[in-house]
Amino acid sequence: MKILVCLKQVPHSDARLDIASDGKWIQEDNIKFEINAYDTYALEEALRLKDSGEAEVVVVSIGPARVTQALRTALGMGADRAVHVNDPAAEGSDVLGVAKLLAAVVKEESPDLVFAGLMSDDANFASVPPMVAQLSGMPSTTAAMSVSVADGSVTVERELEGGSLEVVQLPTPCLVAVQSGLNQVRYASLKGIMAAKKKPVDTKTAADLGVADAVGAGAAKVEIEKIYIPPKGHGAEIVEGSADEVAQKLAGKIKELGLL
Amino acid sequence: MGTILIVAEIQKGKIREASYELAGLAQKSGHDVKSLVLGQGVRNLAEEFAKKGGGEVLVAEADALANYNADAFTQATLAAVQASGAGILLISNTPSGWDFAPRVAAALDAAFVSDAFAIEDEGGQPVFLRRVFNGRLDARVKTKGTPVVATIQPGATAPFEGSTDGKVTDLDPGIGECKTKFVEVKAAESKGVDLTKASIIVSGGRGLGAPEKFPELLQPLVDALGGAMGASRPVVDAGWLPHAYQVGSSGQVVTPKLYIAVGISGAIQHLVGMKGSNFIVAINKDPDAPIFEVADLGVVADLFEIVPALTNAVKAAKG
Repeated sequence: MKILVCLKQVPHSDARLDIASDGKWIQEDNIKFEINAYDTYALEEALRLKDSGEAEVVVVSIGPARVTQALRTALGMGADRAVHVNDPAAEGSDVLGVAKLLAAVVKEESPDLVFAGLMSDDANFASVPPMVAQLSGMPSTTAAMSVSVADGSVTVERELEGGSLEVVQLPTPCLVAVQSGLNQVRYASLKGIMAAKKKPVDTKTAADLGVADAVGAGAAKVEIEKIYIPPKGHGAEIVEGSADEVAQKLAGKIKELGLL
Repeated sequence: MGTILIVAEIQKGKIREASYELAGLAQKSGHDVKSLVLGQGVRNLAEEFAKKGGGEVLVAEADALANYNADAFTQATLAAVQASGAGILLISNTPSGWDFAPRVAAALDAAFVSDAFAIEDEGGQPVFLRRVFNGRLDARVKTKGTPVVATIQPGATAPFEGSTDGKVTDLDPGIGECKTKFVEVKAAESKGVDLTKASIIVSGGRGLGAPEKFPELLQPLVDALGGAMGASRPVVDAGWLPHAYQVGSSGQVVTPKLYIAVGISGAIQHLVGMKGSNFIVAINKDPDAPIFEVADLGVVADLFEIVPALTNAVKAAKG
């Protein structure tokens, strides 16, 4: 079995979010990046299938040179090889453009199973994985809380609201976008990191993948015009003072509410 | 103006509130409003929706649509887009909406925007406002071309409340092969922790830094208040507390008299689960944390200093 895992490298969850001078995205210079948390669960799920049987795990990521680090981490965790789509001409792609690049990789690799995270922690679009599946003519499901594979069929419990689960069955090849928390993600071992240095990373451009005309800012139908700090709602009344003063005021308010 | 097509969603035998919110947005827009109601045996719901903001309702009925099915819903929606000539397609960002809406957009090679909380018009082209970075920033997103497909955040906009006299038309959903098979829906397991009945909830987030801080730091405050303990999703995902403690759209939706959020930044999925609380106190060291938007009282400080002090103050105030 061959499993393709789609990874996105995103700003670290603790990174400062300063708006860039053009107002369209955050300032990305000098901040730390990491593998999107949802995608680490997708990778872990693929590695568990590899551990329990015969599977090749290929990871793919789109982005500039910094993405190499995310791919090396994934290889260190146990993925077998990596595809890095690195093409300045693909910058400014909208979600459909990104999906077309990934669908082209799916076509080249012909995996039995494609894993991705439910959404990215930066743009929060949650739309690339089903798009990749649609463009690849495969069934897909999202928010997977458990995945089991047997005899060319994948059974997934997907999360609905309020903790209920919907069970669906998909024939391979198919795509599963996973919810966070469906497994405990492993760390790369030192041995794994050493071994990763010898594992192959293929670099591709949009032209190599045959989709040069379909990607990049020119082809995008969706553009973030600006990002901004959300206007405050009714906003909290901020209580100030020393810890004891603040605690007194809060306790006073709780008493006033008749809750003590 | 062109046509907006709404995909209504049926939940537990009724059109869900989020669909009326789509109707509210569509009716306000000045566009011609059409809707799609899809399922099996749902004509009465289509009639009802036509009278309550749905406009001209296309009703697509098939066995394959009786339960949510990504393939069948995608195909039926594509048939409705074609039949209605819609320039804008709106779907609610629910577990089914986020599952099939991107497939529809990809099949149409259309502009796609997800989880928007507002729509504006710019020269006839829709522009969307949506959250990014889990609510820490907002984005204004422009679109090109037609059709435009978007999912809308449930609860973000006002539902349609007037009456309309739309008609109901049958639509052949033209459903072909469905590779995905629906098996069953499993109800939420009995949780042992029923936060929905608690009148005071103290919830902890990633800001607590380590699992042992919940019994050591948070539990004494919970006990002093006679309340219950809750948690945010990252805490549960990290395995610090069982899922039963999770407050949020994928956990429990709570409305206590007092909700104290400790070290929780306030991702949208958490806010959905607690913003209906009567009185909200937020303690967080980041002054820009979205949790302060929904809080009544906020404390921008180190929770490791505030929580023990508050525990003592509560004990003292009780006398």
